[in-house]
Amino acid sequence: MSVKADMSAIGRPVPLIDGIEKVTGKALYTGDLDTRDALTGRILRAPVSHGRILSIDTSRAQALDGVRVVITGQDCDKTYGVIPIAMNEYPMARDRIRYRGEPIAAIAADDAETAARALELIEVEIEELPACYTPAESRKPDAPLLHDDKAGNLEREVHHTFGSVSDGFDEADIVREESFDCAEINHAQMEPHAALADYDPVRNRLTFHSVTQVPFYVHLMLARCLDMDSSRVRVIKPFVGGGFGARTETLNFEIIAALLARAAGGKVMMQLSREESFITHRGRPNTQVKLKVGMTKTGRITAVECETVMSGGAYAGYGLVTILYAGALLHGLYDIPNIKYDGYRVYTNHPPCGAMRGHGTVDVRHSFEALIDRMARDLGLDPFAVRRANLLKAPLFTANGLMVNSYGLDECLDKVEKASGWVERRGNMPKGRGLGMACSHYVSGAAKPVHWTGEPHAVVSMKLDFDGSVTVLTGASDIGQGSTTIVAQAAAEILRIDLGRVRVVTNDSVITPKDNGSYSSRVTFMVGNAAIEAAKAMRAKLIDAAAGLLDVDPSEVECEAETFFVKGSSQSELPFHDVAIAALAKEGTITVKGTFSTPVEAQGGKHRGGAVGSTMGFSYATQVVEVSIEETTGQIDVEKVWVALDCGYAINPLAVEGQIEGSVWMGMGQGLCEETSYLEGLPAHANLIDYRVPTMAESPPIDVQIVESIDPLGPFGAKEAGEGALSGFPPALVNAVADAIGMDVNFLPVTPDRVLEALTKYRRNLRRKEAAT
Amino acid sequence: MTEALPQFQLLAPTTLAEAVAALNETPDVAVSAGGTDLVVQLRRGLCEATTLVDLGNVAALKTIEATETGLSIGAGVTLAEIENNAEISRDYPAVAKAAAVIAGPTHRTVATLGGNLCLDTRCVYYNQSHWWRKSNDFCLKYKGEICHVAPNGNRCRAAFTGDLAPALMVHGAEIEIVGSDCRRRMRLADFYHEDGADHLKLAAGEIVAAVHLPPPGPASDYEKIRVRGSIDFPLAGVAVACSKSADGAVRFTVAITGTNSMPILIEPEEALGGESDREAYFTALGKQVQKAVSPQRTTTIAPHYRRLSAAALTIRIAKALL
Amino acid sequence: MSDIEQIPVTMTVNGKKVQRFVDARTLLIHFLREDLNITGPHIGCETSHCGACTVEMNGMSVKSCTVFAAQANGAELTTIEGLANPDGTLSALQEGFRQMHGLQCGFCTPGMITRAHTLLKENPNPTEDEIRMGISGNLCRCTGYQNIVKAIQYAAAKLNGTDIQEAAE
Repeated sequence: MSVKADMSAIGRPVPLIDGIEKVTGKALYTGDLDTRDALTGRILRAPVSHGRILSIDTSRAQALDGVRVVITGQDCDKTYGVIPIAMNEYPMARDRIRYRGEPIAAIAADDAETAARALELIEVEIEELPACYTPAESRKPDAPLLHDDKAGNLEREVHHTFGSVSDGFDEADIVREESFDCAEINHAQMEPHAALADYDPVRNRLTFHSVTQVPFYVHLMLARCLDMDSSRVRVIKPFVGGGFGARTETLNFEIIAALLARAAGGKVMMQLSREESFITHRGRPNTQVKLKVGMTKTGRITAVECETVMSGGAYAGYGLVTILYAGALLHGLYDIPNIKYDGYRVYTNHPPCGAMRGHGTVDVRHSFEALIDRMARDLGLDPFAVRRANLLKAPLFTANGLMVNSYGLDECLDKVEKASGWVERRGNMPKGRGLGMACSHYVSGAAKPVHWTGEPHAVVSMKLDFDGSVTVLTGASDIGQGSTTIVAQAAAEILRIDLGRVRVVTNDSVITPKDNGSYSSRVTFMVGNAAIEAAKAMRAKLIDAAAGLLDVDPSEVECEAETFFVKGSSQSELPFHDVAIAALAKEGTITVKGTFSTPVEAQGGKHRGGAVGSTMGFSYATQVVEVSIEETTGQIDVEKVWVALDCGYAINPLAVEGQIEGSVWMGMGQGLCEETSYLEGLPAHANLIDYRVPTMAESPPIDVQIVESIDPLGPFGAKEAGEGALSGFPPALVNAVADAIGMDVNFLPVTPDRVLEALTKYRRNLRRKEAAT
Repeated sequence: MTEALPQFQLLAPTTLAEAVAALNETPDVAVSAGGTDLVVQLRRGLCEATTLVDLGNVAALKTIEATETGLSIGAGVTLAEIENNAEISRDYPAVAKAAAVIAGPTHRTVATLGGNLCLDTRCVYYNQSHWWRKSNDFCLKYKGEICHVAPNGNRCRAAFTGDLAPALMVHGAEIEIVGSDCRRRMRLADFYHEDGADHLKLAAGEIVAAVHLPPPGPASDYEKIRVRGSIDFPLAGVAVACSKSADGAVRFTVAITGTNSMPILIEPEEALGGESDREAYFTALGKQVQKAVSPQRTTTIAPHYRRLSAAALTIRIAKALL
Repeated sequence: MSDIEQIPVTMTVNGKKVQRFVDARTLLIHFLREDLNITGPHIGCETSHCGACTVEMNGMSVKSCTVFAAQANGAELTTIEGLANPDGTLSALQEGFRQMHGLQCGFCTPGMITRAHTLLKENPNPTEDEIRMGISGNLCRCTGYQNIVKAIQYAAAKLNGTDIQEAAE
């Protein structure tokens, strides 16, 4: 017989396997779960930015008919946080309030109306303290301290030098320095936060559903803060309506919901409003970047000096990782021998910042790509040429010890240059219209997780049973990125079976293996590799069984299209199910597992903080943005975007394109219009009319091209695809603005009011210059 | 349910008389037109009426009628109907254009003319949750003592952001108001006060019944400044009408929303004559707009920008209408 | 508050007649989700700006968070749960959203598809611009919208019997 036609499960567009639930309304998100027997949880939030809690009287609330429990900060003395060495936050403030909106008490009541009324009955006496809202205020010598153990309100400072920047600047033909200010932004995932906590007082067990990206972290923090043995906790992740980093950390409302459920001895549904979801925050911090770059006449970058100050909000959260990432990812995109980085993560009396798509790198990348574009202009070089003058040659380790095994940036540059018509069109456009470009990169999972235990980064279990079905068990959290589909594709590809034979069971801590969760674009790389390993183990068992049936050596058996046969022979074909039955005859239900661990050499430099930024492989992206500007009103329209991203290998090109489009577009939001601003600590933006998530009306067409550099360690050669393109948009945008009207802008977002103000200054300066000459 | 709206009774009159009676006979009453803004207010605790009178079933409010003296549009006509009405698009283009850019398409299917004309004023210190406003000691517009926008002033600075009012105003529209024992008409331009906490000249128990447009004449257009291409309220919205007389002189009428607590009507004395210096004329027109409006810190976008962009839009539209 | 009268409502939801008593204050979105257990329409905001709660009411797209259940008395309502073909297979729009990857997390998807369903009734051959403006009251945070446009184009083409462009699989 001839081998059946290729039925590869990878490398072709596969619609999300859970897309069927999503298009029919059958997908259940946390807020869709059955709450008929649940109490309603509500949180009382602090009215001041900074203060000492003198007393809380809950007696009147407690006495209200329909109120089941009222808890305060006194009911939990355990801190929580995503970084084991930096857990300085209580689920509810105990004695100090550090931002407006911080939880201070909570209620579980029979219904929402009672809960709302009870909130009004809690009496809190607060001694207000002076507050700091900007890093400049926080860093003043006489500034009030947010945390007594953090002098100067410095959460973390980083000072890293690789190579010699002074030598590098000496070699440079030009040196240019500029300062950039990028506003704080929020994930604004479409699903507001929610958690359903169900406590069984008889068994002392907690069952917990939440919107988390990392059920494992939630599990750890619930056990810690409720002082429960972790074996008594079960965490289930239903469908999740987006994350973008907001839900990587365990969040205060999750712990509060669990505390309420235990206090009430039952079930509590905690659904946050959109405003509360904004206040829970963990978004990208306001980042001020002072950047100095040295360049030769040919565009070679000789040295980089970067000082970054982040306004981190009131608690540590992910902060130290963010400030480390910002410096570490100055490396890995271009060949730069000398880099000095100074980072300052500063406490302010705002909701805590955290991880957001492109964690740490976006604002620094923005500044960098904007600055080198201007230097290209100073030197009369094409922006593409400057990038090409600094390409890496994989494989290599960067100056700070990051491993780069595959590198498709050169191909990204070529593709986007061609697709956008850059050479023909740039410089030949009408006034007010322009093209700008930028490059970017991102990690495919952190090579060393923050909860370092030494165990594998990912474990996937796989089961084959009498019915011939293959069940994959994974803790990988699909939050819309398509990880469930990737895992199914990997299994089907290795086992040479139809996708329909594979079911994926995800995210229930009593059923699925532990997973480190969906953050830093780790899932395809790590879980994908673990799934491949599991499937290979299962395939070996099947091949053994088939060899027995065919009476040949296993090395002679091949499988293709759900059929086993002897290599090169057309004699006998065994259908998959027959082989499965034969395999089961030996040992019954077959269960196998696969794991993935990162190689030691991928885990970064030996310097303090060297693990942050380390990864098995970087994605690389180039994009061109075309804008038009109405100079009388400062309004910028993005006409089109061309982007190419090196994702190693596109296991599911449909999802890869979707991830690239989504990340480019999210970068557009940050570049054009998104901003979280505060009025003395009160969020001015905590709704979807003032926080301007772009609508379909002004969103541009996005031309996507995939570059496949085939990473030697990636699953089928794949790397990440969902974050790398984001940080290229804002700089490509401001570079396009400069091309269109000649004006450089050093702020984000480029809202029309800021643009018009900058234009007024720009024109005034031009007039002055003209007058002077 | 994460939230509980206050309890109220919902009355659904089917005639104007019943509606007016309901308004006059019930204490703590509020009118619900399309509800797209009112429901949000209710959810935020910005309306504590114990009775809502839903005008959605009053058939008499839902007609668009050509009359001898022009066109009458019932207050209950939806924005989508105005946007898609061929006569309005042809004869009063600014009106159709303004309707088409209000909020998003699924607001416009239920939101009404009357609702947009009576839209509550907006402010970053006001359109917030109960917790937010309480943490800030409320504000002059609602439950508080001071206006956080202008703490030394004695009035609320919240901005009117209805898009239809300026478009109708430049066409000389009149508004018809019905009360228990009166039916009165006034220029729409006279319907508003410059006070964010009390911006409508609508007495308790009165309902806006219709808008009457004079016969078509001037060309017109409407544009608004907003950060996004949809949904957003206007940071500044500008309607311009342009009439040309036989001698070639061109006269503009301008009305602006989003910058003040009321829509501002500007009727420049000077016409643009055939001999005039066009650029100078438009620069002067822009200056006049800048002077006439007084945006305050009621949005996250700087007031000065709203002033400049109102002027820029005026010039842009006026030039295009020539 | 028991002194406030409950209002009887009758409506047809996804072809099925339902009768209930509601508070005047009950929003249609809460009625659908809590009383009828129709949880496809979602709540993404409190300010009527996200569109996740979009349903079709008497042939029009409405945000069910700005309508009281009592106002839907006598109405014909369609939600995402009512859009599949009678045999349970996916409608052209549902298929389009899945095949063209017009969704990622899926939270906005029920509102998106329900809005698109009404849009295609209003305008069976929309241009890209008409789609973008017509759906602009529905926010999505994952896709960048491009594939949502493609999904609606896919459905329009399929419903009109014209060629479907670059469908996956």
